[in-house]
Amino acid sequence: MLQRRHLLRAASIFAAAPVFLSVWGGFAAPARADAAADDARFIEALGKDLVAVVNGPGSTAEKQAALLKLVDAAVDVEGIARFCLGRFWRVATPSQQENYVSLFHRVMQNNITGRLGQYKGVSFTMGRTTPRDGDVGVATVVTQPGQAPADVEWIVATIGGKPQIVDVMAEGTSMRLTQRSDYTSFLSHNNDNVQALIDAMRKQALAAN
Amino acid sequence: MRLTRLAAAALLAALLAGCATPPPASDKEATAEFRQTNDPLEPTNRVFYQVNDAIDTAVLRPVAIGYRDVVPQPVRDHVHNVLDNLGTPVTLANDMMEGKPRRAGDTLMRMLVNTTFGIAGIFDVATGWGWPAHDADFGITLGVWGIDSGPYLFLPILGPSNPRDAVGFGVDIALDPTTWVGSGDVVTGLSYGRIALGAIDARERLLDTLDKIKAQALDPYATIRSLARQHRRAQIEAVRKDTRATVPDWYPAAAAPTH
Repeated sequence: MLQRRHLLRAASIFAAAPVFLSVWGGFAAPARADAAADDARFIEALGKDLVAVVNGPGSTAEKQAALLKLVDAAVDVEGIARFCLGRFWRVATPSQQENYVSLFHRVMQNNITGRLGQYKGVSFTMGRTTPRDGDVGVATVVTQPGQAPADVEWIVATIGGKPQIVDVMAEGTSMRLTQRSDYTSFLSHNNDNVQALIDAMRKQALAAN
Repeated sequence: MRLTRLAAAALLAALLAGCATPPPASDKEATAEFRQTNDPLEPTNRVFYQVNDAIDTAVLRPVAIGYRDVVPQPVRDHVHNVLDNLGTPVTLANDMMEGKPRRAGDTLMRMLVNTTFGIAGIFDVATGWGWPAHDADFGITLGVWGIDSGPYLFLPILGPSNPRDAVGFGVDIALDPTTWVGSGDVVTGLSYGRIALGAIDARERLLDTLDKIKAQALDPYATIRSLARQHRRAQIEAVRKDTRATVPDWYPAAAAPTH
């Protein structure tokens, strides 16, 4: 049973990072140490906005739109997408890269909006800020009704002069790393064919609609 | 009978599946990835993953859904607390073997407080009083001692593991006092009951998560492998990082040596 419990904890990352469920991290950019406080403020402000949308008034469609606007502004989607394709990014043709990034974005959006209802009542508290491989990790504890509080750390990099989320560590597991494992394993079982991955992602994106 | 045949078929398939083929040495990136994945028994592991998945779909998941539907959340929490409390002796032993007296102290207080004030562990009073729960098992202990996990293993029934954690699992059973206490039908019945309840409790807490992984991942096997590995590493790291001093803050500091 112990092993099952490990899996439970490990897998709980998906439940642990409400709202950002499928926001995977991206490329590292050097972040100055003194930027850490700014990054913490960035996460705190974003978190407050997200919680306000999720728990606020409005129709589901309105909330979904508001959520996506916040997420798109705060997350380095392209960097994350590139990271998740790993060494296959260079193998892909420019048009495949473009298709892949846009599908990645769509799947991510579907994953976030599809579970909007389950985030109701979510709240968070801020924790410590620590340097992480040139980026900054901003720790939070996310609480949802009926669930144990979850440690969620947001990895923030400075990209194009502004802070951007490049990864989410939930209970010690990196989302971008997990996503990359998924894609690379899929590719290795499909003759390293990037087009097969794109087709599978398209199917995923359509299935959610 | 059918189960035996199923197990035999699974074993045969697993043996036939054999080992994963490493990529050609000339492809450096692919080779690095293969090493990092560290899953040389992948074909066999995938067979066991599928067997487990089939058992889960047929039995465990429906039982867990039924449990969630019938038993209200507060009661489920109490069940979880009791199971957790029963596990504290093993946690305590591992805290000590890790050489972490503060963690051992936390566990000891949890055991004492929750067993008494918490009425046989039904209520988790200790967390609110400043002794929160943490993870400890012999797999983690071995990891803290510097022993590498070894290749990934997906075990029948138990799920994601590796040689180190599989050994740890066995040692934890041996460390559990209830393994050695008493005999007879009642004791046997109770211990099976605890195992069954533990499985249902764990599966219920996993319901949404596993459903989500299966719906969102293109290769759930690989996703679970990655999650399980990362999480084990994080658990071991958490123990290493816990460097709280044994002497509490309020205790007067010893005078500095004069020579």
